[in-house]
Amino acid sequence: MEALALQSPIESVPAADVPLTDVARAAAGDALAFEAVYRAHLPRVYSLVRRMTAGRDADELTQDVFVRLWQKLATFRGDSSFTTWLHRLAVNVVIERFRTDQVRRGRLIDGEDIFELLPGPAQTRDLGMDFETALEKLPDGAREIFVLHDVEGYKHHEIATLLEISAGTSKAQLHRARMMLRKHLGPRTTKPGGR
Amino acid sequence: MTDQWNDRLSDYIDDELTPEERAQLEAHLTTCRECAVTLDELREVVARAGALTPRPPAADLWPGIEPRLERAAVVPFQPRVAARRFSFTMPQLVAAGLALMVMSGGGVWVLQHGGRATEGPAVAAFAPGSDGVAPASLADPRYDEAIADLEQALQAGRADLDPGTVKILETNLDAIDQAIDESRRALAADPANVFLNNHLADARQRKLALLRRATAMVNKG
Repeated sequence: MEALALQSPIESVPAADVPLTDVARAAAGDALAFEAVYRAHLPRVYSLVRRMTAGRDADELTQDVFVRLWQKLATFRGDSSFTTWLHRLAVNVVIERFRTDQVRRGRLIDGEDIFELLPGPAQTRDLGMDFETALEKLPDGAREIFVLHDVEGYKHHEIATLLEISAGTSKAQLHRARMMLRKHLGPRTTKPGGR
Repeated sequence: MTDQWNDRLSDYIDDELTPEERAQLEAHLTTCRECAVTLDELREVVARAGALTPRPPAADLWPGIEPRLERAAVVPFQPRVAARRFSFTMPQLVAAGLALMVMSGGGVWVLQHGGRATEGPAVAAFAPGSDGVAPASLADPRYDEAIADLEQALQAGRADLDPGTVKILETNLDAIDQAIDESRRALAADPANVFLNNHLADARQRKLALLRRATAMVNKG
């Protein structure tokens, strides 16, 4: 897969609290420094992997991401923030796994039926968790694109390159995912037309 | 609901419509309450997605990662206090010296006789790899910092090494530094020369590898 020189809103998110010297030391082979990098970035990397995979093999894939990071850390050039670079690496690891999953190919385009299968919004007070649960129930294609676009901040042309689909398909799947998820918003918090 | 416009609501939110389409949709929204409600709901979905917070896994994943790291590449930075002396065997020293003479001598010869100039960009030596992540240009502060750390660790454990080994290491490092300096000077005159870029990158990688091995010996002792 080609390296993607993509800009992402992740750039504007403060990087995890890990000194860049730890990254440099880890790149030079220091396992203790690498563990510090792992601990600083684990929550965000794990969340990205879990959301993209709906939790399937999320632990194993997250471990794969950090093993790959260990192998590739010396190639980090600093052209983007380390967090952005790491997330891109994580997305690539997940997508590589997707490509080995033959069954998933069929699921990428069968998103319509899920509309009626999704339950309504849960009545718990943790709206974030409700939303996460609803996210996991989306069909694979719609969920991956929603996570990449609305959570991770990738553009449609970037997603199209990553997933080897057209930008139009990316837009259609994103809209489909949003239409499904709007049923899980719970009580309305804004009035129509309000911005 | 007007399906034609409903399908464009996400494009509207993401500013993917042409000015003309945007104006038409906004005109439609003034008369279609259903589309207006849907638009607000979609906006809330987008806002909710942007507000998601990271959640760590239920269990620590490090125990499944640490054994998979290549231990050979690990270079602790703190040398042990009590370390034994370490020495190369004579065949190892001879082989290392010969290899370095050949590599550095060849590089210097090519530098002196001129590498073939190319029209390619200076970064051609660092073309992206096939695995999705571009290889490093070593001309960055992280490389210098790693070298400085390794040199510091080596200096701290220098007394634990056999004097003969130290002498060989210093000779080799001097030769590599000389090759690096010559490459830099040559690149100043011909920055687009791919061979010189490759030669510089190779010399710096050899220096990093040699320092890693040396500090590993210090800590192994």
